[in-house]
Order: sequence, then structure tokens, then C-alpha cells
Amino acid sequence: MIGLIILFTFIAIITIAFAAITQKKLADSIILFMGVGLGNVVLFFTFKAPDVALTEAVIGAGISSLIFLMALKHLGEKS
Amino acid sequence: MSLKRDIPTSALSGFALSAILVLTILNILLQHLPSKISTAGEELLKVNATEGVANAVTTVVVYFRGFDTLGEIAVLFIASLGIGLMLHSNSKCDIKAESNFMLQTASKLLFPIIMLFGIYVMIYGHLSPGGGFQGGVIIASGVLLLLISHKEFEVPHSVIVALETFAGVSYVLIGLIGLVVLDKFLGNFLPNDISNMGLLMSGGVIPIIYIIVGIKVGSEMSMIVQNLIRRESNV
Repeated sequence: MIGLIILFTFIAIITIAFAAITQKKLADSIILFMGVGLGNVVLFFTFKAPDVALTEAVIGAGISSLIFLMALKHLGEKS
Repeated sequence: MSLKRDIPTSALSGFALSAILVLTILNILLQHLPSKISTAGEELLKVNATEGVANAVTTVVVYFRGFDTLGEIAVLFIASLGIGLMLHSNSKCDIKAESNFMLQTASKLLFPIIMLFGIYVMIYGHLSPGGGFQGGVIIASGVLLLLISHKEFEVPHSVIVALETFAGVSYVLIGLIGLVVLDKFLGNFLPNDISNMGLLMSGGVIPIIYIIVGIKVGSEMSMIVQNLIRRESNV
């Protein structure tokens, strides 16, 4: 059962990451990057590392994506 | 999401690379499934019991590798300083679009809960998953919510500076007291009885240090977010 969860999460992470690098708009890439972070949270939690999972949820999927979005808005539409 | 009709070679090679990665990871996983996944920390857990802290990760981060944590805080401080130097501006925020009523009401409702959760994660860092870094960033995201919804809201600069200075100085002071009392930087000079393990007041100096780390990280991340928002509104 745990193997199935891990397998499904791996496939989902790699699919989302592949979708993130093929996007044309950078904002879509950042949203998909957030999805990669959420997949990592599930993976860390199944590997019995709840501390790392909490850190990834807060920093990787949360505030770093928001900082990326603010930097993107700061750069403007030219990028 | 949709792939174009003519797939470029870079996309194909990326796909092949990820397929190879999946196969490798699957191979490793299928060999070690699932009883051997969590054997790495067994020896660490034995040593951990001497400090009277229930969460082994906290003992490693704050006690065994406390000097590294000081370095990490210094790195975060330098990042905050760089963003402040590059983006600081004295002008008030003037976002053109007023945030709507729903966002304002929901943020007023959510902000105390986010703050409470951040403080909980910070204080219970030695008992349950979490700790100073996570709690500090949760508090900073609450500040970010208020910054987005209320355009006149601003954390005063002097408050942030005072909190950050207090936290940094007391971290080093506690470390030096440990050096004087126990001949070891960040020595655990407060009572840390193993029989108290699992209580809120256990672990001696470790929860105090993690709360200090949380205050420092929260003020620094709030500073970074506030500088970015201010700058963004001026462009």
C-alpha cells in the first residue's frame, strides 16, 4: 500500500515538473512548481520525515512561490 | 499542459532523462521496501534520550548542530539585508486597485488563526514536528496576507529591528553562557531531566533557543516580504 502511494506520488511529481518546464507563461510554471512542492510533502511524509514535510510545505510550496510571483510581477510582462 | 505537435529535442531528452530517473528510483525503492526505510535514525534516537527532548530532529538541529543553526540564521540575515538594501524605499504603498471586501473580511478572520498556528509550531518544536524556522515562516505568511489585503497596513521598521536584534543577541548570549558553565558552546545548562520528556517544560535550553530562532526568522521573513510588496507597488 505504501509502495503504491510512493509510486503514484513519484509519477505525479515528474509529470508536474515536466509540465512546469514546458509552459510558455512563467506564472503557470510557478503555480506548477508549487504542485511539485506539494508532491514532495506527501513523499517526505510517507518516508516518516514529518519535520522535513512541514518545512517543505511552508517554505518550498508556500512562501518561496509567493516570492517568485512577486519577483515576476516586479520584472513585468517583458520576461 | 498540452504538448505541441512538433516536440522539440530538448523536451524529448528531458522526458528520457526523467524516465531513467523514475526507473532508478523505483529500482532502489523496490529493493528496500518498506521495512528498511526508517532505520537511519535508530542510533540517533538512543543518543537523543540523554537530552530529554521528544523530537529527535530538534535535538540535532538545535543542540548537536547548534553552531550550524547560528550560521543558517546569519545567512538568512544577510539575504534580508541584501533585499533591504536593493529594494528599500521610503514612499508609502499606493496599490492602484483596492482589495475587495471578501479578501479584507477573510484576512481579518484568518490572521489570528495563522498567528496562533505559527506560535504553536514554534513553542511545541521540541515535542512535535515543526520548530522555529517553520513557525517563523508561517507568521511571515500571515503578515503577507495582511499586507496584500490592507494597503495601509505596515509592520513598523523599529519593531522588526528590535525583535531581530533581541533574538540574535540572546542566541549568542545563551551559547556563551553554556560555554562558561559547561565548557561547550550552547551547552544545556538548564535542568533537562529525562523523566520530564514529553512535557512542555522539558529539554532545558533547547525550546528557548528554538523560540528565539522563530522570532528571528519571522521578523526577517516579514521584512523581506514587506520590502518586496512596497517595491512592487511603486513600479
